[in-house]
Amino acid sequence: MARTKEVTIVTYRDIFQDQEKAKDRYTQEYQDLSALIVLDQSDMKLIGAEDGDLVLVENEWGSVVVKAKLSEEEDSHSGIAFMPNSPWSNQIVSGDTGGSGIPDFKKVVAKVSSSEGDVITLRDLAEQMKV
Amino acid sequence: MVNVMEVYQLLPKTNCKKCGYPSCMAFAVALLGREANIEDCSPLVEESKYEKKLEKLEELLAPLLSADATETGMIIHTEKCYGCGNCVVACPVNVANDPKGVAIGLGPKSGKAILIVEDGVVKCVNVDECRRFGPEKILCNACIATCPSKAIEFI
Amino acid sequence: MSICTGCSLLCDDIEVELEEEGIGTTKNLCRKGQGHYESLGVERLAPSVDGAEVSLDEAISKAAEILSEAEKPLLFGWGNSTLEAQIVGIELAKKLGAVIDDTSSFCQGYLMEKILKGEYPTCMLDDVRNLADVLVYWGSDPSSSHPRHMSRFSYFPRGDEKRQRGYEEDRNAIVVDVRVSPTVEIAKSGFFKVLPGGDSEFIDALMTALSGKIPKVKDKKKMLGLGTTLKKAEYGVIFPGLGLIYSLKDEIDRLDPLVAKLNEVSEYKVIPMVGHYNMRGFNQTLLEETGHINRVSFKDGVEHGPQFAITEFLEKCDAVVVVGSDPASSLPAAVAKKLAKVPTIVIDPHHNMTTELAKVTIPSAISGLEAGGSALRMDGLKVEFEPVVESGYLSDAEILARIKEAV
Repeated sequence: MARTKEVTIVTYRDIFQDQEKAKDRYTQEYQDLSALIVLDQSDMKLIGAEDGDLVLVENEWGSVVVKAKLSEEEDSHSGIAFMPNSPWSNQIVSGDTGGSGIPDFKKVVAKVSSSEGDVITLRDLAEQMKV
Repeated sequence: MVNVMEVYQLLPKTNCKKCGYPSCMAFAVALLGREANIEDCSPLVEESKYEKKLEKLEELLAPLLSADATETGMIIHTEKCYGCGNCVVACPVNVANDPKGVAIGLGPKSGKAILIVEDGVVKCVNVDECRRFGPEKILCNACIATCPSKAIEFI
Repeated sequence: MSICTGCSLLCDDIEVELEEEGIGTTKNLCRKGQGHYESLGVERLAPSVDGAEVSLDEAISKAAEILSEAEKPLLFGWGNSTLEAQIVGIELAKKLGAVIDDTSSFCQGYLMEKILKGEYPTCMLDDVRNLADVLVYWGSDPSSSHPRHMSRFSYFPRGDEKRQRGYEEDRNAIVVDVRVSPTVEIAKSGFFKVLPGGDSEFIDALMTALSGKIPKVKDKKKMLGLGTTLKKAEYGVIFPGLGLIYSLKDEIDRLDPLVAKLNEVSEYKVIPMVGHYNMRGFNQTLLEETGHINRVSFKDGVEHGPQFAITEFLEKCDAVVVVGSDPASSLPAAVAKKLAKVPTIVIDPHHNMTTELAKVTIPSAISGLEAGGSALRMDGLKVEFEPVVESGYLSDAEILARIKEAV
C-alpha cells in the first residue's frame, strides 16, 4: 500500500503560469506550470517520490494527479505544501463556504501519495464537469 | 562562478606554448577573461586523449561564452526574468542617466539607460556604461540584489 | 504609447510595434503584460449555440431569448470589462430583475468595501512613490501578481520631493507570507513567516507589540522590532493580498482594530492588491447605483447578501451570463460544475473552461487592446484608453447593449 502524508495545501500565484494562461491555457506548458505540488524534502521521502514524479492528491472533495516538485526553501515546511492556483488545485478545494461565499483556497487539507496515474488534461477536466 | 583552477585542471598542463601564452595557467586566465578561445589550444582540440577534458571544459565555459554574457560578465537568464523592472529602476547608472524616466519608475525616456525591458523581459544595452565594465570596475550588484528570480548573475 | 489591461496597475507607458502578423517588439511590458498582449494572436472564441458555430446575431438573439425566459438569472464577471460595459451590465441586471455579482465576492470584497466607503484610509499609488517609507506586503506577492508594482510605485523608484535617496535608505519593506515567495527574495530582512491560517495570531502579537508589551511569540525580539519599525514610519502603506484574506476568512474584521491602532501611532494607508484590471471600477459603480459593491439582487427592489454570491446562487439560478471571467477555472470544482447544469452564456475573447460548459458563446474584443474605454486602477485613478489594434470584434459594452435591447 502506498504511503501517504497528510498536508495542508496553500495555493499561490506563479508568473510563468499567469503568462501562459493569458496567452493560451490549452498548452502542455500551462499544464506543466499548473498541475504541480511543491513538497518539503522529508514529505517527498516519506511517500517515496522524487522531484518530477507523479503524485495523487486527494480528500473528501476530490482527487487529482499532479507532478511533485521539490521545495527550494531552506527551512523545512513538512506538513505544508504549495500548489499554483489552477483548475487542478480546484479539484480538492472545499465547495462548502459555510454560506459566506468565500471558499477556503489557502488551507486545503489533503493526503498525498505516489501515483501511477496520468495528469488529466484541461479539456478532460471540463468534460468531467459536464457529467 | 567559474574559477581559474577549475579551468586549469581541464587543460593539458604541458606548457607547450602553442596557444601563444607562456603557460597553461596563463591560458586559463586568458580564457576566463575571454581574451582567448578554447580552439587556441590545438593539442586539446586535436588529440583524442584530451577528448573528455575538452568536453568538460566546453561545458564549464558555456555560460561564459554564450551570447547572453556581456563584456561585463553579466548574464541575463531571460527564461527566469519576470519583466518586473526592479533592476531597471535600481541601477545607479540608469538613475543617473534617466532622471525623468526610470529614476521615478517609468519606462526609459532618455535613451541612455543600460537596462531596459523589451518583449516582457530585461535586456542589457549600452553595456559599456555599466560600472562593472573595463579595468576600473566597481563591483556594483544593484541589478542582482533586486531581482526576485535570480535572473541576472555575474560570472 | 498604449496601455496594458493585464492587471490593475494599468501601466500606460507601453510601446508596441504592430506588424502584419500581430504584435512585434514591445517595451516596458512585464512578463504578465507580455502574455496579455500576445493573447491577441491566440485562437479566438467563435459565436456558438449548443456547440455549433452560428452567426454573431444568432448567438446574441439566443442569449436574449434565454434571459427573457429566465426567472432567476445571474450576471457574473465584470473585472475584465470597461466602466462603460459595467454600466450597461448593471442596467441589464435591473431590467431582468437579475442577481449581479463579480469576483470581489470571493476575493477582495471586504477590503474594497472598507476602502470605497471611506472606513479604511487609502491613498494613490503616486502618494506611495512620493511619500511612503514603510511598505507592508501582507499575504501578497507583487513580484508575481503585479510585477511592476515595486519598481513603478512602492519600493524602488524615487519620489519627487521626498524619498529621493533610493530604496535602501528611504524605504523599509515588510513581507508577511507562508512561504518564501519571489517578493521575499528581494526583501529578506523584512520577512515574517506565518503558518497557514496563522495571520490571526500574528495580528494579536503585533497589536501587543504596538502597545509596547511583550508579545506571546517565539521570536519576541523580532516582533517587537516590527512594532518599532511600524511606529517610526512617517507614511506607511499596507498592501493586503489574497493570502491574508483567505487566512483570516470570517475573522477578516480583525484587521479593523489593527488599522485603527496603526493610525494612532503613525499614518497608515491600505491599498488592496486587486487582480483584474477593472474590478474596482465595478465595485465603485455598483456602490454608486445600489449602495453595495457586489452580491446584489434586483428582483424585488435592491437586495444584498451572501445568498447572492456566485458560490451560493449558482445552485438556485436558472441562467448565467459570464462576462470576461472564467469561474469554471477559478472556483472550487465542486461549485464550478454547477455551471454545466444551468444554461450559461459566455462573453469572452478566448476559449477557457467556462466556454466549454457554455450553451451560448459570444466573442468579444480584448478591452485595452482592441476596444477602448475607461477603467479604475487599483488605487481608484480613472484611466482612459484607446484601442491599440483594429479588429472586427464587438466590445463587451456593445454586446451587452444589444442583449439589453433584445430582452
